[in-house]
Amino acid sequence: MLPPDGTVVVVGASIAGITAVEELTARGHTGPIVLVEAEVSAPYAKPPLSKAVLSGAAEPESASIPLAESARIRRVRGDAAVRLDVAGSTVGLASGEPLPFDGLVIATGARARTVADLGGNTSGLEERVLRTLDDARRLRDELRTASAIVIVGAGVLGMELASVAASMGIAVTVLSNEAPLLSQCGPFVSALVEREARAHGVELVTDPSGVTLVERGGRLAARLGSTVYEGDLVVSAVGDRPNIEWLAGSGLVCLPGVVVDSRCRVTDRIVAAGDVAAFGSPPRRNPHWSNALDQARTAVAALLNGDEAPEYLARPYFWSDQFSLALKMGGHTPFLGEPDVLAGSLDDLDALVQWRRDGVPYGALAVNRRIAISKLHLAAGNPTANII
Amino acid sequence: MKISVDRTRCEGYGFCEEKAPTLLRLDSDDELEILSEEVGDDQQDRARLAVRSCPVAALRLEE
Repeated sequence: MLPPDGTVVVVGASIAGITAVEELTARGHTGPIVLVEAEVSAPYAKPPLSKAVLSGAAEPESASIPLAESARIRRVRGDAAVRLDVAGSTVGLASGEPLPFDGLVIATGARARTVADLGGNTSGLEERVLRTLDDARRLRDELRTASAIVIVGAGVLGMELASVAASMGIAVTVLSNEAPLLSQCGPFVSALVEREARAHGVELVTDPSGVTLVERGGRLAARLGSTVYEGDLVVSAVGDRPNIEWLAGSGLVCLPGVVVDSRCRVTDRIVAAGDVAAFGSPPRRNPHWSNALDQARTAVAALLNGDEAPEYLARPYFWSDQFSLALKMGGHTPFLGEPDVLAGSLDDLDALVQWRRDGVPYGALAVNRRIAISKLHLAAGNPTANII
Repeated sequence: MKISVDRTRCEGYGFCEEKAPTLLRLDSDDELEILSEEVGDDQQDRARLAVRSCPVAALRLEE
């Protein structure tokens, strides 16, 4: 376990890393904390980037998650961790500086996956993605003058992009190998979003053969089946990849992310949280906001208190704004079959619905309804938090 | 230290309520209620966690 005055290095300054730093302080850790921030931008929240920041309804600065200044917290900005020496308890930085630690929080998150990562970019051109604050700023500015865009990928992010662009009067084509949100959320949510997308004028093209990016007149274009789609902009929204390359050679198991135990630990001095962490059996990443918060808190408690700390309880929860729909979902997706309506009405697009298996709730969806996260967890059959 | 909410931004997710239940609560209509605007010395870390947890940055702390 970590000595109370030991040095903790936190690698990554998005919501998992920031929460870990705050949690260390809140739990009475008195030693030095070093926060490694690869980006020069001040820490920010990602959920608004594909929503209000992209549409221009909110300034990029509004997404910031500023950290309280403290003499105990050293912030290393614009420098990335490039290696981990487990035996020597040291993180190496790109600048060459070694950072010795007594405790380490791995929170390096994930980055956008590209069509090239999937082997489908034959254009030789760089792809446009939306992941960082800089991505959001650039895309926001480009959307202001665009008249037609092509989005590759009909997952949550691709469809949020489509929503924002359609609301700006841009002609939107979404290319995908399956119906919107189908594998993430199941057929009910998929059909709901698809109906709204079409009602808002979005052209959805689905073909399991997959998209190839090609070059047309010096610009990126997308081929699906035998058709090539062109626009002012082609944006790839095909998932994410964990930032694990810096851990190569460390001996840590990093497939499909940094594999952690039931308390988010890799060893008794190394923990991982957020999009980079893979939890459960078989281990899987669960890259969502609430998961990053819960894992960071569990991880820090385990670093400080070992086996006396509570185990991580998965309470899946995420939300998305899709056209005229504000969706909040809890439980274990995909949701299958028709749900029971607990409140409101689906015809009015104002409802709380629930999916059950053998009478036991396993999923819930709120459509255009304010609902406290605790109530949605309850409707979704999620466990009650075990960490305060 | 004082905590405040921008009601035009708050969408009632409720992460803050989980982080600082003594300061913030969603009422029966899921509107955010600030139980104590003044944040006591022993509550400051919890208040910071609550503010960080908000996905729409609707909460503000004044030191």
